[in-house]
Amino acid sequence: MELTAILYSIPWDQILIQTINGIVTGMILALIASGLTLIFGIMDVVNFAHGELFMLGAYIGVIVLATTGNFWLALLIATLVVALLGAAIQIVTLRPLLGRDPLTTILATFGVSLILQNYALWQFGPVARKIQEPFTGHFTLFYLEYPWYRLVIAGLSAAIIGGFWLFLKHGKYGIWIRATTQDRVMAQAMGIPVPWVHTAAFAIGAGMAAASGVLFGPLVGVNHTMGLDWVLKAFIVVVVGGMGNLGGSIAAAIFISLLEAYAAIWVSPAQAVIVSFIVLILTLLFRPTGLFVPTPK
Amino acid sequence: MSEKWKEEDWAQGVWYSGKVTRRRVVGWGGGAIGALMLVPAPWRAAFGQAKPYKIGAINPLSGAGAAGGKTALVGVQMAVDRINAMGGVNGRPIELIVADDESKPDVGRRKTSKLVDEDQIDAHVGGFLSNICLACMPVWEEAKIVNMISVCLDTTLTTTKCNRYSFRVHDYAPAQAVAFAPYLIKSLGKKWHIAYADYSWGQSTRDAYAQEIKKAGGEIVETTGIPLGTADMTPFLSKVTGQFDGLLGIFFGKDGVTIGNQAYDLGLTKRYKWAGDGAIAESTNLPALGNKIEGFVGINRYIPIQEGPFNTPEHKKFFDESKARLAKIDPSGPLPDRYVQSNYEAMNALRVGMEKSKFRGREDTMKLIEALEGLQMKLSDDFPTGDKLLRKDDHQAFPLQVIFEIKDGKHRIIETIPGDKTLFPPACKFAST
Repeated sequence: MELTAILYSIPWDQILIQTINGIVTGMILALIASGLTLIFGIMDVVNFAHGELFMLGAYIGVIVLATTGNFWLALLIATLVVALLGAAIQIVTLRPLLGRDPLTTILATFGVSLILQNYALWQFGPVARKIQEPFTGHFTLFYLEYPWYRLVIAGLSAAIIGGFWLFLKHGKYGIWIRATTQDRVMAQAMGIPVPWVHTAAFAIGAGMAAASGVLFGPLVGVNHTMGLDWVLKAFIVVVVGGMGNLGGSIAAAIFISLLEAYAAIWVSPAQAVIVSFIVLILTLLFRPTGLFVPTPK
Repeated sequence: MSEKWKEEDWAQGVWYSGKVTRRRVVGWGGGAIGALMLVPAPWRAAFGQAKPYKIGAINPLSGAGAAGGKTALVGVQMAVDRINAMGGVNGRPIELIVADDESKPDVGRRKTSKLVDEDQIDAHVGGFLSNICLACMPVWEEAKIVNMISVCLDTTLTTTKCNRYSFRVHDYAPAQAVAFAPYLIKSLGKKWHIAYADYSWGQSTRDAYAQEIKKAGGEIVETTGIPLGTADMTPFLSKVTGQFDGLLGIFFGKDGVTIGNQAYDLGLTKRYKWAGDGAIAESTNLPALGNKIEGFVGINRYIPIQEGPFNTPEHKKFFDESKARLAKIDPSGPLPDRYVQSNYEAMNALRVGMEKSKFRGREDTMKLIEALEGLQMKLSDDFPTGDKLLRKDDHQAFPLQVIFEIKDGKHRIIETIPGDKTLFPPACKFAST
């Protein structure tokens, strides 16, 4: 009798809705965070300009979409353009700082973030822009009409991350990246062009940020500060997942997003946000290498 | 052409004979900067040696509030340029000293102190985010400088936290609620769920609507606070369910775009009547909302159309000039919003007060306050949106309110409520000055 009462008291509809919300948010976050963690893992650079690369991707998406009317082309071109821009930023600002105090790279990327943000405001102005989603269908989810597009974002993010993982695992240049992550000196000794691997890694990270900017743009409108809203959470995910650990970041993104979504059922969603900070503090206190990093044997 | 120029005498002299040294470059640079400083500012040519009035203008020009801050600055700059072109105030030009609060209260307070102590401003027109206005209010009071609040809407600025030095020449939440609540109940439904930006302005506006909706015979079923700058509001909006008639949104800026898009995506704007503060459907937000904002019913002191109360030559002049100026800061050519309007009118109200009181500088602050208290603003080029009174008791103005609907991507007037029908009893006690 008591078990039945407990089962009845559980808001199953809310749990399912928030599970979907958590997974969708988690996949977007994972896509942003995987670029961030790649850059940190290979170069030991905490990229404070990551949110602005996300934002620039969305703006380039707006321009391409306005010109061609094709969302998928906008996604592709924005990713490539921002990847090239990322390569240029790495060569000009970060490569000269290689081997110096990590604080200098933090300051450099912070400076780049301010420049990009104010450039966007100057170039595109204060009016928010729209990226029209490629389709607008809905399905009924209890009392909500849930947009298919949100599920597509989750699926595409998973596909991009999956493709990237395959590239790292089996591609020649992916193996170069992994080798450089594991031991930079040894990789160089084996003939891997480490400075160019750094540039490529930064470009890939920037491209992933841009792709997430275009994918997420239709839900929020594009403005010069849209990157700020995501980058803090992406940093939390990277720390909880283990700095430089790609798989860990993906797991942490989904874990934190689901925790927040479930907490939102019983407390105010504004209070649920605190959950991610609690997880961050506990991770730093008890497992500073990251929650999803295998314990060394 | 290639490298031959290097062999010419002048090039040899300049580049290869040691004439260009770092010291000389620094010297020439310093000289050039000095010369630039000596070039007279535009107002000097017109006003000779007349000492300018220094007017400070703090707005968020970077950070989360920058989009609105930029349009706010267009309004105040437009007013200053017009005043200077007409011969200034009391024969003296106005020099606008712009400061960026970076959308942060601590920075806003620091920049306010700088304007007071270093720039020695005579008065201030500005303030965009309510939490920053609240943080800066005591500084204006302590420095005894008139502060014309030009965007902040938090109720307490002219109620429990009022002071003798601060004036608000535009509306506030209680007046909006007085104007809007009867319409909401009569035309849209009795039971409401309020979703609001969870900070000072959103909270005080929520309270004002809750009070007026109850007074009009309605009911607030639930409220949902969403932190400022939340990018994904879906977890919050997914909890909005139950038996009620309408969803009332209290948001502005990019949060207005986010809620407009995401409430539509989840089907909330179809299931419930969708209404709220006009800032959600501000002209600068409409491009990013597209057709998802169709049918939204809002209230605002200003909408960029030339119909009804805004079908006047004075408004047309304001509309055309602000549109031209906005096109310079945004290539998409936005229409003026309420931030341009209230900054423009706040600066003009200050000018009227300065002329009436024969204001010379900070030493005449009390005379300026007396001139502004009870100021009747009449439809004119100074006040293109119409008549309003700046109430003496709490330094709060009561402009016209427009209830509108978004149809075919444009604002359409449903009803207008004159300012004197939106009066709300004063709740301010000034400390003795």
